[in-house]
Amino acid sequence: MALTITCPVCGKRNGYEFRYGGEDKGPRPDEAGLTPQSWCDYVHMNNCVAGVQKEWWFHKDGCGSWFTIHRNTTTNLQVATPEADR
Amino acid sequence: MVEIRRYSPVSFKASAKRSEVRDNWKVVLEYEGEGKGPHLVDLSHMTRLDVQDANVGAITPFGVTIPEVPGESVLKDNVLINRMNRIQASVFCLDGHKPEIPKESAYTETTEVGMCLAIIGKEVFSILEKLSSLDFTDPARKAPFLFQGPMSHVPCQIITLSKDGAKSGVLFTASRGYGKDMVHAIMDAGAEFGLKPAGEEKFSSWIASL
Repeated sequence: MALTITCPVCGKRNGYEFRYGGEDKGPRPDEAGLTPQSWCDYVHMNNCVAGVQKEWWFHKDGCGSWFTIHRNTTTNLQVATPEADR
Repeated sequence: MVEIRRYSPVSFKASAKRSEVRDNWKVVLEYEGEGKGPHLVDLSHMTRLDVQDANVGAITPFGVTIPEVPGESVLKDNVLINRMNRIQASVFCLDGHKPEIPKESAYTETTEVGMCLAIIGKEVFSILEKLSSLDFTDPARKAPFLFQGPMSHVPCQIITLSKDGAKSGVLFTASRGYGKDMVHAIMDAGAEFGLKPAGEEKFSSWIASL
């Protein structure tokens, strides 16, 4: 399946120009009260959503930007950003 | 005092007809058998700058205003400026002579860290079609404009300077280490169109005609 990704600087480009940066897990957890277990979960555990997920991408062959998009993992197509995330 | 020598990261399999030493670079002005084009020209000796600032739009390198929108370029008085992103622009001085570099901290000279080539002539986009999936002839974009993307799988800055028939031409830069292989790939892609190496004079007369 051919993936295209819309870079905020360069626009819509071939997915091969990008490097996947993993699921967006939200902000880094607060260090106060952080246990090794919860830090390990934050770093290593993924949701592996079968559907739309927010994820990081790096435009390695282009402008060098890091940015997030929403992608449907079952169709491998980028989808519009949900209203709640705008 | 020791005389330094600067070497272009690219070389062509053609004999130089005329050349000169300028700012320690050996600059070929004309090659043997340049033909009618299209032409590949080595511009690696031409001064290039990176401009980076939180308010980069307020900076005017050599008196030229930086375009507002990333991907837009401007060519004025042989100074080419490309807006790369919110905080960064690249500047190419295309008259072949080293200008006085502005002293502000926003400027970094990048001439010697990269290669710079130009492909000029009617069949430019037929050649590029074999090297990159980027749409250089997109009617929605008005030349000059910048692509930051891959050519022959190498991350490049590619500036389309003209889409006007026989005056068509693009200029591109990449990291210095890719020079030899990029020339090999471009000459191979351009063989069926009669692509030949050309000296700086060919580029200078072409850019003056734009």
